[in-house]
Amino acid sequence: MSLNNSQTLTVSGQDLTRNGSSTNSSSSGRAPWDNARVVLKPSTPTRKPKPPKPENAITIAVSSRVLFNMEKEQQIYEHQGMEDYIKHQVEHETEPFSAGPAFSFIKALEAVNTRLRELYPDSEELFDVVLMTNNHANVGLRLINTINHHRLFIERFCMTGGNSPIGYLKAYHTNLYLSADPVKVREALGEGIAAATMFTQEKMKEVSETQLRVAFDGDAVLFSDESERIYKAHGLDKFFEHEKAHENKPLDHGPLKGFLEALGKLQKKFYDKGQRMDCPIRTYLVTARSAASSGTRALKTLRSWGLEIDEALFLAGAPKGPMLEKIRPHIFFDDQMFHVEGAAEMGTVACHVPYGIAQRVTKKGTMNEETSSAPK
Amino acid sequence: MVATVENTDVKQKDADRALIVAVTSRSVFESGADDDGDEEVYKVGTAFPLLQALQRVNERLLEENPAESLLFDVVLITTDRQQQQQSSRIISSTRHYGLEVGRFCFSSEEDFTESLLTNNVQLFLSTDAMEASQASQKGVVSAQLDQHAASCPSEQLRVLFCGDAVVRLSSSPAPASQQAPQSFSAQLGEMRQRFGLFDSPVSVVLVTSRGGRESCGTALRTLRSHGVSVDEAYCLAGAPRGPMLSLIRPHFLLSVGFSDLKE
Repeated sequence: MSLNNSQTLTVSGQDLTRNGSSTNSSSSGRAPWDNARVVLKPSTPTRKPKPPKPENAITIAVSSRVLFNMEKEQQIYEHQGMEDYIKHQVEHETEPFSAGPAFSFIKALEAVNTRLRELYPDSEELFDVVLMTNNHANVGLRLINTINHHRLFIERFCMTGGNSPIGYLKAYHTNLYLSADPVKVREALGEGIAAATMFTQEKMKEVSETQLRVAFDGDAVLFSDESERIYKAHGLDKFFEHEKAHENKPLDHGPLKGFLEALGKLQKKFYDKGQRMDCPIRTYLVTARSAASSGTRALKTLRSWGLEIDEALFLAGAPKGPMLEKIRPHIFFDDQMFHVEGAAEMGTVACHVPYGIAQRVTKKGTMNEETSSAPK
Repeated sequence: MVATVENTDVKQKDADRALIVAVTSRSVFESGADDDGDEEVYKVGTAFPLLQALQRVNERLLEENPAESLLFDVVLITTDRQQQQQSSRIISSTRHYGLEVGRFCFSSEEDFTESLLTNNVQLFLSTDAMEASQASQKGVVSAQLDQHAASCPSEQLRVLFCGDAVVRLSSSPAPASQQAPQSFSAQLGEMRQRFGLFDSPVSVVLVTSRGGRESCGTALRTLRSHGVSVDEAYCLAGAPRGPMLSLIRPHFLLSVGFSDLKE
């Protein structure tokens, strides 16, 4: 259902479509709102490209707390409450926030867009970033000032003032939702939207400014958790047996499969223009499966989906941290907190996909023992 | 000839302090094509949840402060001869539903705009675009209610400000016609401030449809300078409005500040 424009507002006196009447000679003095006027210059230097239509773009919705570092403010909110939090935000309105865990990922998306626009100036198949925050609009000006300060290209946002973002995520045809709130992330996953929880990290190693690198775990991220269930129920040997026996049967898809697919679609646009070697998007599979055995099924599954992945790293149960540190992805998706934490410790921006059987295991200690040599 | 009737069921508001909102009877009550003589009471119409929401705001305002004078004062107005002749049915329907209507204005299509002015109406709401336009021409802040208002919440009044593309050259002075929207916004803003950030019976929402973050920032600043604190803000930058509006579910839409667009 859509509401047509003819219903929107009439304001006292003037009809927007008719030329402003020149009979308005104001007898009153300057009103307080005069300070808020904007002067329209005839030759405006900012020629920002128009944002693409949501259905054409690959939309990344990101919350304010993961795009920027709002730790201090979060503390105020938790210990002193909402009123003080808002007051603090407004008082510091002109002070920009510093970068959060998703910042370099978002910057890299813009670098890809620049390259895409060069090659396909009329295409709307671009990344579109939407700021999707639960924040009250009072914080809006500080967020806008921060976006300006960091020269981010974000023109769309939803400040829901406490209401659920799910409807808006859908309205924007969101391809990936990143948030600090695991409840919202779970809700999004439940609605079929790829989503992951991000955390503030002390250490964030330098990453490329020209090539977007995205790393994915396999089971319960790109693939369903079906094999992981077998491992958890019947142990490692049974897992290997099962995977070998079903080598040619594609695994079911996981929550991030669609996002990998979207990345692949953009990669192909570069390949089509002879830029395979210089492609500004690179994807990685970082899995505890081993190349010799269970890895085959993973690769065959990807092939059956028509998806390419640039590098597949089979760790056969070894920790993922060191490998990721070498790759330097802008973002790494994993369903197990153990791996997320391991990656983060070594400076990789890692986020948690709360999906599948691994979520039932809550104690970190138990996970360590079970998963240290576990294929995924 | 306009007849104004006070609703004796309802405590009259302080005329100087109240926010006077006029809603057409056609918006509030559904009049069937064949008026069944036995039916005393109309069915509820599009604006019914809106009236309930306005009532809810008043209830909560009085809870906070029993001596509160900044309240919504609702006037039910007829805008055509046919409705004008249904006065007793309108009054009995209002009573039947226990609606907090302060006054009834029984006017026709020729004189309803005059009665808006006579009654110092600050906001006029109608499902009819022409009526809203006519009232607006007379200098009354008006908005058209669309049929989706029927499915809006009745526990929270949701007011939407549209902050699009309205820019004035600095050399021209602010026209006198800006006074009305300014003062309405300021009063609405003051009313909103009576409540905290959570659980407020009134929510102020801003949408900028065409512009990007700069437009939204300007609109936020403008509203703030009018004394309006915004609860929710949506900057669409060209994304389709329809789906967003169905999620936001505003009772009515108003413009932010300036209305004249000088080339």
